[in-house]
Amino acid sequence: MDTNQLRFVLEELSFSADLPAAFLSQLAVDATLEQAPAGGLLFREGSQNDNLYLVRSGRLALEMNVLGRGAVRILTLGPGEMVGWSSLLNEGKMTASAVAVEDTEVVVAPADKLRALSEANHDFGFHLMRQMAAALSMRLVATRFQLLDLFADSSPTTSDSPTERDG
Amino acid sequence: MTATISNTQERFLSKPTFARIFEILQRRGYQVIGPTLDQEAIVYDRIDSIEDLPRGWTDEQEPGRYRLEKRDDDSLFGYVVGPHSWKRFLFPPTAKLAEANKTEAGWQFQTSDDDPPNYAFLGVRACELAAMRIQDRVFLAGPYVDANYQRRRTSALVIAVNCTQAASTCFCTSMGSGPACTSGFDLALTELPDGFVLEAATSEGEEILAELETAEASIEQLQSAQVARQRAVDQIERHLDTTDIRDLLLSNLEHPRWDDVAERCLSCTNCTMVCPTCFCSSVEEVSDLAHERVERVRHWDSCFNIDFSYVNGGNARDDIRSRYRQWLTHKLSSWHDQFGTSGCVGCGRCLTWCPVGIDLTEEVAAIRGDTS
Amino acid sequence: MSTSPAAPTPPAHAAAHPWLAQTVTIREIRPEVEGVATYGLEFQDEAVRAAYRFAPGQFNMLYLPGAGEIAISVSDDPENRSSCAHTIRVVGNVTRTLAAMQVGETLGLRGPFGTSWPLSECIGRDVVLVAGGIGLAPLRPAIYTLLRDRRQFGRINLLFGARSPDTLLYADQFDDWSQQGMIVHTTVDRSAPGWMGSVGAVTILLERLHSFDPRNTVLLCCGPEVMMKFTVMTALHRGLSPEQIWVSMERNMQCAVGLCGHCQLGPEFICKDGPVFRYDRLAPIMDVEGL
Repeated sequence: MDTNQLRFVLEELSFSADLPAAFLSQLAVDATLEQAPAGGLLFREGSQNDNLYLVRSGRLALEMNVLGRGAVRILTLGPGEMVGWSSLLNEGKMTASAVAVEDTEVVVAPADKLRALSEANHDFGFHLMRQMAAALSMRLVATRFQLLDLFADSSPTTSDSPTERDG
Repeated sequence: MTATISNTQERFLSKPTFARIFEILQRRGYQVIGPTLDQEAIVYDRIDSIEDLPRGWTDEQEPGRYRLEKRDDDSLFGYVVGPHSWKRFLFPPTAKLAEANKTEAGWQFQTSDDDPPNYAFLGVRACELAAMRIQDRVFLAGPYVDANYQRRRTSALVIAVNCTQAASTCFCTSMGSGPACTSGFDLALTELPDGFVLEAATSEGEEILAELETAEASIEQLQSAQVARQRAVDQIERHLDTTDIRDLLLSNLEHPRWDDVAERCLSCTNCTMVCPTCFCSSVEEVSDLAHERVERVRHWDSCFNIDFSYVNGGNARDDIRSRYRQWLTHKLSSWHDQFGTSGCVGCGRCLTWCPVGIDLTEEVAAIRGDTS
Repeated sequence: MSTSPAAPTPPAHAAAHPWLAQTVTIREIRPEVEGVATYGLEFQDEAVRAAYRFAPGQFNMLYLPGAGEIAISVSDDPENRSSCAHTIRVVGNVTRTLAAMQVGETLGLRGPFGTSWPLSECIGRDVVLVAGGIGLAPLRPAIYTLLRDRRQFGRINLLFGARSPDTLLYADQFDDWSQQGMIVHTTVDRSAPGWMGSVGAVTILLERLHSFDPRNTVLLCCGPEVMMKFTVMTALHRGLSPEQIWVSMERNMQCAVGLCGHCQLGPEFICKDGPVFRYDRLAPIMDVEGL
């Protein structure tokens, strides 16, 4: 896919759509579009990875390895969503494995190029970090949700009406 | 109550002749309910003669304090309001609502209509007339009518008494509910040392007046009555600033004053029990041993009870702060949204009967940011 | 646009005797997911059966003499005249007593009560239904009604989140619903082996929903209150106005007719001003803790 086409893809995806035009053009130069077939592994938990991935189509699952339970699927991601943020924010050690659940297309943006762009132009850096923060914030809220386990059954000892607890 | 009439003439009745009112009401098929002494308070109960009235007694009230004192005259109505209100007869503390019976065809259900006596309420104060009007809106004006309340309300005869004094806890003037009785009664009385000035507002009131052998009230008697009623107004010392109160409380739901009052409030439910407009209730199942006949009994409940707001395994209002806030914002604010008026009539009972003397006029002032 | 739609006028006998229960017989007990079953109830009295109507979103009070009453949303097709389905989860004494009952036994029913989903406002517009857990049950009557007159509405999407793949309520109906023109998106909080669908909070489904026109959408939401709050937040973030969002609230309902005081949330009586509310009416009070 050439730079222009990639530019259009970036304009479509919700993560990148709001980034400034100049930034997208630059990003389109450095990024590539790759295919991950169903079942394919993008990166393994614990490995070094230096790419940010934006899902263009299909579905990725994040899995973490738990002793005694194997690979536990904790989250799935669809078009417009981002994964691999650790590559940008810390030393690039992945906190989960990313697996394609179905045939998936991802935009791959090398983290070193993103860092260089951000250093050279702090405006770019600001916009990129802001998008990252927004995406991570949403992810955090959704994770808290899963933690709340809202759809679990209530404790069997509770009553559904106070009058009957009177005996 | 029968239809209202206008252009009534005020009459005068001497004290001794007033005693006849009991026999007249009883002959008309009424059970008279009125003030009487019980356990060092003036309560409302069945009374059969003038001897049952608290002649020569008065009440001293302050937040958290109620005492009876002897007067130096023999006034029959020389006090204000006690722990009871007329709601205990219109909306009784317990009432059987319905019944379920297990038959061969499964459970069969029927409602229980109670058969209360025709009450004559003797001694209803202006704030209580206002409270009845408020409860009428709750029980009669919505899409579902409480049939038992309706029956009791329409058959009740109301003999109002104009207050000639005020307790320190009264603030009816702030709520526009007194102390003068202006409507909602069959007869209204103002007590003078030697008798009563009476006014009828309905045809039944007129009939009773006729049976009482009254005289036309003289100018002096009318003036004395006016002076007596003014005394009640002058003695009011407590005020509630109701300016924009609906918005004031609902836009201050996180005000620190709620934490402050929560430190003092015991969530004991006294205020809701004595309040003449509180209407919360719960229904209980009362089953026979064979579990073949089950009654559904309604009884008074209170938003201060811990599990009143129970839902989904927990209480929505799990602390005293949120329960007190619920009571006060409902009474003074949300009631406007729900029923078009305030829920408070300024009778002061919640101040008097609060064991720790919480004064809602002070709480509101604090939220408003006034200094005392 | 109107605020919460008024409930249909209660039938004459109900308004006069709000405490009078009607005898119903359990005609069917259909196990759904764990701890949840759907009870098909039939009125014993033929005249009552013929006259009974409910609007999607309304609830009945189911009465088990001696145990008590519970408020249960009707989860049936409003056109079903023979019996009336209620999907119920076992959470306490009354529901446990019900769970021990058999087909053929009787109980009492009072209703219908409350406000309903604003389906007439959905005509000509896209509809997004967001359900969490058992919250799908009060939405199912709306789904039946929307799909019956499919052409009257724009795009219909159901976003449904459950705890795990085996707790997806009414899963056996999803194919039918898809064929009838509603796109069903599901997600679970916890995955299980063999699950190839989404994993994550149901709000992500809304965040991710493509073919979404905020100017012409009505959103109906039902589930745990926290989930509804975040769904509303996401919906507002995606450009919907508070007047386009409807939620179904729950509080302790006892009399169901606005007289016992238990179900109040601020000035609202959930039993008669709700349970279905347009969000703008609740916005000032929904976020106040312990109100």
